[in-house]
Amino acid sequence: MTVTAIPTNHQLIEQCRTEPAPLLPLLHAFHERDGHLSEEALREIAGALKIPIAELFGDVTFYHHFAREPQGYGVPRVCTGPVCAHRGGLELLEALRETGARPMPCAGRCDEPVPVLRGGELLVGTAPRSLVTKPSPIPAPNPGGIEECVFAHIREPGRATLQGYRRTGGYEALERVVRSGAPADVLAAIADSKLAGRGGAGFPTGTKWTAVADAPGTPKSIVCNADEGEPGCFKDRALLDHDPHAVIEGMALAAYATGATRGFIYLRYEYPDTFGILAQAIADAEAAALLGDNVLGTDFTFRLYLRRGAGAYICGEEGSLLNSLEGKHPFPRNRPPFPVTHGYENLPTVVNNVETLAAATAIVRRGAEWYRGLGMNGQAGTKVISLSGDIRRPGNYEVPLGLPLETLLHQWAGGPEVGRAIQAVTMAGLSGGFLAGKDLDVTLDEPSIRSKGSFLGAGGIMVFDDRHDMIAVARDAMAFFAHESCGKCFPCRIGTQRITERLAGEAGPTDLSAWIDEVADLGQTMKAMSACGLGLAAPLITESLLKYFPKDVARHVERTGHDARGDR
Amino acid sequence: MSNPLADMEKPDVIFCIGTNMTECHPVAATRLKRAIARGAKMIVADPRHIGLADLADLYLPIRVGSDAALLLAMAHVIDREGLVNEQFIGDRTVEGEKFLEHVKQFPPEWAAEITGVPAEDIERAALWYGKADRGAIYYTLGITEHICGVDNVQSLCNLALMTGNIGREGTGINPMRGQNNIQGAGDTGAIPNNYPGFQPVTDPKNQEKFRRAYGRTVDLEKGITKVTALEMAGDQIRAMLIDGENTVVSDPDRHHCEHALKSLDHLVVIDIFLTETAELADVVLPAAAWGETDGSQTNTERRVQRLRAAVPPPGDAKPDWWIISQLARRLGFQGFEFTDAKGVFNELCSLSVTYAGLDWDRIEHGEYQWPVPEPGHPGTPILHQGTFVNGRGIFHLISYRDPAETIDDEYPVWLTTGRRLQSYHTRTQTGRSAGIDYFLSEESLEIHPDDVAAWGLRDGGWARMHSRRGCVLIKVKETRRSPRGTVFASFSFNDVPVNILTGGGYDPVTQTAELKVCPVRVEPAEAPSARQGVA
Amino acid sequence: MIANPTDAKSESLTLDGKEVSFTPGETIYEVATRHRKRIPTLCYDERLEPFGGCRLCAVEVEGSRLPVASCTTKATPGMQIRTSTASVEKHRRTLLEMVASENREIDVDPLRGYASQELSTLLDRYDARTGRFAGAQSGSSRPDDDNPFILRDYDLCISCYRCVRVCAEQEGDHAISVMSRGFHTQITTEFEGLLKHSACTFCGQCVQTCPTGALADRKAMRFAHLSGETKQTRTICPYCGVGCSVDILTKDSTMVGVLPAMDGPANLGALCVKGQFAWDFVQHPDRLATPLVRGADGELQPTDWDTALDRAAEGFRKVVDEHGRHSVYAVASGRAPNEAGYLMQKFVRAGLGTNNVDNCSRA
Repeated sequence: MTVTAIPTNHQLIEQCRTEPAPLLPLLHAFHERDGHLSEEALREIAGALKIPIAELFGDVTFYHHFAREPQGYGVPRVCTGPVCAHRGGLELLEALRETGARPMPCAGRCDEPVPVLRGGELLVGTAPRSLVTKPSPIPAPNPGGIEECVFAHIREPGRATLQGYRRTGGYEALERVVRSGAPADVLAAIADSKLAGRGGAGFPTGTKWTAVADAPGTPKSIVCNADEGEPGCFKDRALLDHDPHAVIEGMALAAYATGATRGFIYLRYEYPDTFGILAQAIADAEAAALLGDNVLGTDFTFRLYLRRGAGAYICGEEGSLLNSLEGKHPFPRNRPPFPVTHGYENLPTVVNNVETLAAATAIVRRGAEWYRGLGMNGQAGTKVISLSGDIRRPGNYEVPLGLPLETLLHQWAGGPEVGRAIQAVTMAGLSGGFLAGKDLDVTLDEPSIRSKGSFLGAGGIMVFDDRHDMIAVARDAMAFFAHESCGKCFPCRIGTQRITERLAGEAGPTDLSAWIDEVADLGQTMKAMSACGLGLAAPLITESLLKYFPKDVARHVERTGHDARGDR
Repeated sequence: MSNPLADMEKPDVIFCIGTNMTECHPVAATRLKRAIARGAKMIVADPRHIGLADLADLYLPIRVGSDAALLLAMAHVIDREGLVNEQFIGDRTVEGEKFLEHVKQFPPEWAAEITGVPAEDIERAALWYGKADRGAIYYTLGITEHICGVDNVQSLCNLALMTGNIGREGTGINPMRGQNNIQGAGDTGAIPNNYPGFQPVTDPKNQEKFRRAYGRTVDLEKGITKVTALEMAGDQIRAMLIDGENTVVSDPDRHHCEHALKSLDHLVVIDIFLTETAELADVVLPAAAWGETDGSQTNTERRVQRLRAAVPPPGDAKPDWWIISQLARRLGFQGFEFTDAKGVFNELCSLSVTYAGLDWDRIEHGEYQWPVPEPGHPGTPILHQGTFVNGRGIFHLISYRDPAETIDDEYPVWLTTGRRLQSYHTRTQTGRSAGIDYFLSEESLEIHPDDVAAWGLRDGGWARMHSRRGCVLIKVKETRRSPRGTVFASFSFNDVPVNILTGGGYDPVTQTAELKVCPVRVEPAEAPSARQGVA
Repeated sequence: MIANPTDAKSESLTLDGKEVSFTPGETIYEVATRHRKRIPTLCYDERLEPFGGCRLCAVEVEGSRLPVASCTTKATPGMQIRTSTASVEKHRRTLLEMVASENREIDVDPLRGYASQELSTLLDRYDARTGRFAGAQSGSSRPDDDNPFILRDYDLCISCYRCVRVCAEQEGDHAISVMSRGFHTQITTEFEGLLKHSACTFCGQCVQTCPTGALADRKAMRFAHLSGETKQTRTICPYCGVGCSVDILTKDSTMVGVLPAMDGPANLGALCVKGQFAWDFVQHPDRLATPLVRGADGELQPTDWDTALDRAAEGFRKVVDEHGRHSVYAVASGRAPNEAGYLMQKFVRAGLGTNNVDNCSRA
């Protein structure tokens, strides 16, 4: 019989201390060992990493998954995101109340509600007894029969293993490139492909990589942004669960092209299974000399580290993510300077989304022209859309950019339930606000969607049919942004709160024009003055609400007035 | 300080020795913290694990009184490793060769024995400082309050000279002055060897200069120091005029001090409170305090700044300049017809070489650091640029000496004394400021937890501490700031008169007392029935 | 870091239609304030790294879709900057109205601290409608913190983090930090404890940088009830040898507080607990207000100056007559002004022709 000894503080610290970005792994190690982060643990960690204790304490309170009460680690956290809230999440939370269960924002499993985190496990189900762990769904075969890029091989059996990945040419691109000794060719291919960031911001990837290659200062880093926190987005999870090596190869290619020698995957906390899959994939790739020192026997070195967030949507913002990795308070950074020159530890850094990196691998293998050709109507390439909510076949779909939204909704995903009509869909998860009515005739590409005042972003689309009170939907959306606002910049910190209060009928004018005036002023100032995407995007919720659902707003304000006067 | 305070943000290697800067000069310490945040490395040598040690990249826990040994060995390593700045030594110093030969006999292993610091740490410190582009030394009374205080300072100078870390931005030898105008007290000539502006009294030219100014010939011989004067009290010294100093509490060997003052025929004290010293006086003259009088004072970086009255003094209290002038006039002394502080300051400037370029109006905004040799001169933030005031820098051949008293079976523990953040000197001011007691209401003896246990003491309990001169009752405070075998107390609290114990020896040159080293014995004691410190 | 003016050549940009020069490395805010543009800020303290939190300083830059924070954006050659367009001014007003909405009160006593009027001044300047945007209040005060110096009235906090940043960047103490996030953000110490149990050294820098009086000088506040104008007198701190510049606050003849002098050459606005809070010894009842002479009964008795000075002089004259001029000794103070030190030495040198003078630097 073997007895596993509980590691001592000293052992935990020694495991992490010599690695880069040691704070998060160390916090997780203590959190998991002790069931919470005790004052003693934080003092140990602060001492070991020379972080002032007040700062460390403040940092820990920023993340909502770090428990500071004993046994808090094991308390169930039930997803009450925009989809799960209407698909049994609230009921499940209620049913688990006596276990101390707490709600959590969208946990990225909107295609298969309802996810529940319990300790290190992710369970899925709608009733306490039926909660199970199971692999996340593999994307369905492309309903349009259209050629794919990042999903092209994802359905192959064993694809997530190194063997499975190599079976259809995995790591051949990396091998060819590192042996060719021509990083500039990689940069040229990526630039030529017109690949743009698939995490939402849409910055040209080739330009980013070239900037890092040209920037002075070493060591350079490649950071994979796998902090997929946008409600209604779960595409990165699918890629990492079922094709992890494609992302790893993309990072190695980026490293080779830019001269980076270290990389980090920053994975959101809510994907514990993915963490295990990635850890295995990295270990296998290292063992096969595809990562680490002297990759494939060349003098190219690329060490890859896996880091796990702890529950903070803002850490998907690249400045926050970098601060979080560095063990600092996860506020966004002021820009400029940008990460390409002042990223991880103020050194040149590529920060790319999971999907972008997976696409880069395919581009290096198959060529820029091939990739460009995958789009429709003059758009280059593809985009994975996470589709969820009131739709018959939710899931991840890789669409050619330029595909009509209606095609995706009705032909690919089966449309709404019989007898129901689509009242509105969200764009960019929640960040793009709503599209409704005849604006649903957009095509899935930025120019088309931006012309309606929204944006495609990371590609999360949640469908709300005609059963929903759109004021309540908007209120919950804004409450999410208020909950996740970091607190650094005034317009977002105060604005998300004030708009939430108005949508909830808790405060604000009871006169309609005054109500609209306040909400519009808040929104306009947030859109103009906020420091990062959260505050800039959140007002799209109310902007689109007022645009598509003015009568609902009027009714809401009137009802609020009645409540305030005690008419009810 | 050879360099301005602003330079504290500029070194790449900082060497702090015998300075508890975060408590005693907190605002200066913030500049070091910023230098560290910017990437500078800091070496801290101190017997206690003081706040600066927490910030240090290398902490050298030296035994009390062993500074010279550490510094000699550092010089040895710098020489051995070829880090000597030959050009600087050749161009700007004398006795360099002799010094480098001299330090060959002091390897780190030798110093390790004396200081208790591992030889490799001494080497590391020497290498860092020796390789620095900008190495700066900061020290305070931990260096000077020893029988070898002068040796210690000269050892620091030797390090700076051999590496050329002087006369440039971000370098230098920087003593941090402890009291607001201790620099000014020296500048203005209130010392037995110099006229204002450090003009030696032994130089006949200076004697002539001041004869013309004062209408009286002053002795060519230096005066005696205060320490000697107290020794001679009641004998050769029969009367004293003391301005604003609580000698009884702040000086070492309190019993001796009290006795000395009591044996005077005549004692006049000028002060703002009836201090323990004033209580012994024949006449006490009430002075205007800070905030009640105009004047000037000079800070640790030689910056001359204006003091301004904001409120009137209480009752009949008067500015010091007025009191001294009135007293002088009643004695028939000439040249005391002053009507304001401005007149006094302008006369000082007219006679001082260091303030020669200053006057009352020029110091309005405090931008001048002396020397300011003539009007229009911009002042001298960095001393010794290009050349030393006295020509060449002189290396001194220092050897290590034990403290005046060392531990033995009877007194097996080192006591070292100092100050704390919230209390200033003998608490005449801080003790009378509302709220300070919230942080620090009583004295305590800081002892390592293992010693607390080994000596049968209890944290928060009481101890009796004996030295060869006396004994005090003091509360025990367990802390890892004190190393094993060394205890710490401040001299701020009159009810725990720690300076009853100190005073085992004095520096032969400056007659500064060895307040930093005092062998003691510490025993458990009963809590005093009434609060009474002296056993 | 302060840019070295010699190694950077100046460039030019257009500021509100006028071409102006700047030194590379300067931010838009620095250039603009140098040209007397009154750009509003709440999170800015020139001694600290620009933070970019309050967003009030945002200006329009040609080619940029959104206004940019002028405090964090470096000036670049040819930039076309508009500092106060109608649109930006409107957003600033709205922002100020938002900030006011989370605050318990707007008019705070200036004795709370150096920067305590910043918010109310801006609200007046922008004629902000402070009744707008009603809703929950942010920040929880800490009435349990019984320290005598720093009032933690977080109901007035606007989360600009100047206190946190001054503690970290300027003091290097890292005693306070930010906990939680968004609207629930709260300034805290380690584990939400009292300042006394934190790394706080009570230097008061957080108080003096607070733009709303949320952190306030408790000692000065004791004099808030006194009527009359508060006057400032520039002088130097009476404690250690660093020589920090301070402004003494007075109402009539009463000292009511101390402010750090931001332009003090030795301290640039920094102070420590002693300089900031230990000033009221001056007004302590123990102060000597009259001369004392020892009476026949051996006790010190109050008297007038004439009597005291005569007694003092007579004693010295007698000693000199009996024991010679070398029998008198003078000890000057390291705490009194230069004028005292100078006259003490002149007293023995000009008066007695000896060098029997020293000061307390030996103790």
